[in-house]
Amino acid sequence: MRFVTTGTGGISRRTFMRAAGTALAAPAILHMTRAYAATPTIKVGHVSPTTGPLAGFAEANDYILKGIAKSLSSIDNNGKSWTVEIISKDSQSNPNRAAEVAADLILKDEVDIIVAASTPDTVNPVSDQAEVNGMPCITTDCPWQPYFFGRNGKPDQGFESTYHFFWGLEDVIASFLALWDHPGVAKKVGGLFPNDADGNAWGDPERGFPKPLKDAGYTLSDTGRYQPMSDDFSAQISAFKAAGVEIVAGNMIPPDFATFWSQAGQQGLKPRIVTIGKALLFPSVIASLGERGIGLSSEIWWSPNHPYASSLTGETSRQLAEGYQNATSRPWTQPIGFKHALFEVVADVVRRADDLDDPAAIIEAIRATAMKTIVGPVDWSRGPVKNVTKTPLVAGQWQSTGGKAELIITTNKTAPDIPVGGELKLL
Amino acid sequence: MSFRIERFTPASRATAIVALIALAFLVAAPWLTGRANIRLLGEMFSFLALASLWNLLAGYCGLVSVGQQAFVGFGGYMLFALAIFLGFDPLLAIPVAGLLGAVLAIPVGTLLFRLQGAYFAIGSWVFAEVLRLSFAQVSSLGGGSGASLPTSVVTGIASNREWREILIYWTGLALAVAVLLIVIALLRSKLGLALTGLRDSEIASESLGVNSWLTKMTVYVSVAGLTTMIGSFIFLQKLRISPDAAFSVNDWTAYVIFIAVIGGIGTIEGPIIGTIIFFLLRETLADLGTTYLLVLGALAILVMLKAPRGVWGLISERSRISLVPVRRQVRFD
Repeated sequence: MRFVTTGTGGISRRTFMRAAGTALAAPAILHMTRAYAATPTIKVGHVSPTTGPLAGFAEANDYILKGIAKSLSSIDNNGKSWTVEIISKDSQSNPNRAAEVAADLILKDEVDIIVAASTPDTVNPVSDQAEVNGMPCITTDCPWQPYFFGRNGKPDQGFESTYHFFWGLEDVIASFLALWDHPGVAKKVGGLFPNDADGNAWGDPERGFPKPLKDAGYTLSDTGRYQPMSDDFSAQISAFKAAGVEIVAGNMIPPDFATFWSQAGQQGLKPRIVTIGKALLFPSVIASLGERGIGLSSEIWWSPNHPYASSLTGETSRQLAEGYQNATSRPWTQPIGFKHALFEVVADVVRRADDLDDPAAIIEAIRATAMKTIVGPVDWSRGPVKNVTKTPLVAGQWQSTGGKAELIITTNKTAPDIPVGGELKLL
Repeated sequence: MSFRIERFTPASRATAIVALIALAFLVAAPWLTGRANIRLLGEMFSFLALASLWNLLAGYCGLVSVGQQAFVGFGGYMLFALAIFLGFDPLLAIPVAGLLGAVLAIPVGTLLFRLQGAYFAIGSWVFAEVLRLSFAQVSSLGGGSGASLPTSVVTGIASNREWREILIYWTGLALAVAVLLIVIALLRSKLGLALTGLRDSEIASESLGVNSWLTKMTVYVSVAGLTTMIGSFIFLQKLRISPDAAFSVNDWTAYVIFIAVIGGIGTIEGPIIGTIIFFLLRETLADLGTTYLLVLGALAILVMLKAPRGVWGLISERSRISLVPVRRQVRFD
C-alpha cells in the first residue's frame, strides 16, 4: 500500500509527518545545539525606514550590509567562531509599523539583539518593545533627549536593556553657537521649531535652545511650535523681520524648510546665516533648492573628513564614503557612517559577551562597551545619563565647489580632532 | 399553501458549532502556539473588530465614514491618560475609554448627520484631523512628540510576562467576539430591520415609521464606543502613541476599508474573510516595501471591478449559503 495522494504535487502522509515533526522539533533542537554547532549563528534584528518620507536615512543600508557581511560571517566569542545573521525590516517611516516589526523580530524571528536607527519615530517604538521584552537593543541616529525623555527616562534609573549612541541638544547648540561666532552678524536669532518629537525637544525652554542662547547673549524670537507640513510661514517671517533677525535656526523636515525658504525669499527676509537641523542633511535636498541652497548651514555628525576608521573593516571615513559613491554613484550622506558604526558596536558586543545565549550577558556586554568606531568613541560608561553615550558633533556650510554643493566643516570648537575644511561665508 | 419562516439553516447551525470549537481553540491558543502567533492573533482580532464595526456603519447603515481613526486614536490617548494620570489598570481603562468614546460620539454624530453621503465621509475625516491636531497640543501626553506607556504600567498587569501576554491576548479575543456578537444581535433585532430598510431607501422607511435619525445615531454611538475600546487595546500592544500614529488614516481606516471591501461589504462573514486575506498578504509581502502597497491597491481595484460584493459575496452568490443567521427566509412546504 502506498501513501501517495493523487496528483503530481501530492505529498505522502509519511513525508508530511516527517517534515512536520522536524519543523516542530527544530526550534528545540536548534536551541539545544546552537552553541555546539560548527559555526553557531547569532541573530540581529534591524529596523530602519527604507520606504516613506524618512527613506533617505536608510538609503545606504544595502551598501553597508554588503560591506560588513564578510567581517560578520565569523566573529570570535570565547574561542568559538560565530556568524552574525542580520534580519532587516522596514518601518515604512511609520511608528505603528516600527513597533509591529520590532515585536515580530523579537517574538517570531527570535533575534538575540535588536538594532534600530533614524529619528525618534523609528528608534523609540523599537526601544519600547525591546524594553518590555527584556531584549538587548542598540539604537542610533536620533538626538538623545527625544530618545531618553521621550520614553519617560529618569537620569538616575535609565533603562534595563536599551542603549543609544548619538549626540545631544547641548552639542548641537554648542556647535551652532561656534558656527555663528562671526563679527559681521547681529546676535538676533529666529527659531523655527515644529510640533514633533525633534521640534519640541529643540525648542524646550529648559533643555532646548532658548536658555543657552540667552546665556550666550543672543536674543531668540520664537513664535511657538508650528504644525509639520505647514504651507504658510508668513507669521514667522514677519515676526523675524520685525525683530531684525540675522540668524535663522531650528529643526525642520525638508518640505517645511523648502516652503519657509521660498516664502522668506518672496517676503524679503534676508538672514545672514541659516542653520537648520535635519532638513539640510541630504545633498538631494540642497540640490532641489537650486542657487538658494548654497550657503545654508547644518550640523555635521559624520563626514569623509572625520579622522576615524572602522573597527570592523579598517576602512577610513573617506574610504567608506568614496566606496559608497563609487558603488551607487550617489553622493555620501551623514547616516552612512552611523549605520556602519551601529554594526561595529554589534560585532564588538558579540565578541565580548560572556554567554551569547543569555540576554543578560549581552546587555552587560553592551553596557561595558568602550570602543572607537568610524563615528568616534562609543563608551556607555561616559554618558550624560544612563544608557546614553555621545559621539562628537561639528557644524558646517554647504558651499559650491566646482559647480557642486559640498558640505564643508567650518567650525570644530566642539570636537577639535575633526579638521576644518573652510570658513563660513555669510549669505 | 403552507409556509414557514426560517432563520436558522443547517449551514448556520453547523457554523455555530464550528465557531464554538474555534473559540475554544482560540481561548486555549496561548498553550498551543508561540508568543509570536499570540501577538499576531491579537492584532488580527483588532482589525477584525474594526472591520466589522466599519462594515456595520457602511454596509448596513449607509454611513460611509473615513474618520473612524478618530475613535481609534481617542481610545489610545484615553488609555494613556487613564493609566498615567489616574493610575487605572490598563485592562480596566479599556471599557472606561469606550464609554468616553461613546459620549464623545453624541455631539459629533449630531453635527455629522447634517451631512449626507460624500459630505459625511469628508466631515468624519475632518473631525479625525481636528482630534489629531488637538492631541498634538496636549503637552502632558507628549504633544506632537508622542509618549511611551511607562514600563511599570504594562508590567503591573500581571506578575509575570506569560500571564501578562495571556491576559492581553484574552482581552483582544473578548473584544473581537463581543463586537461580532453585538453586530449579529443588533442586526437580528428590530433595529437591524430598520437599518436594512434605511440602507435600501431612507424615504420609504421613514414613511413606514422608522426614525431614521435616532436609528443611525444609536448605531453610530455604539460603533464609536466599541471602536474606542479597540483603539485602547491596539495602543496597549503598541506601547507608544503619537498623534500621527494614533490618528493614522492609512492604518486604521484605509486598511480596514480594504478588509471589508475584499471580504464582502454588507455581510457578517466578509470582514472575517477579509482579515484573513489581509494578514496573509501582509505576512508574506510586507518586506517588499512599496511593492506590497502596490499589490494591496491593485487587488482592491480588481475586487471592486470584478467582484463588487467581495470574496464572500462571490461565494454566497454561487452557493446560496449564509453562515450567520441574520436574515429570515420564507420556505414553502
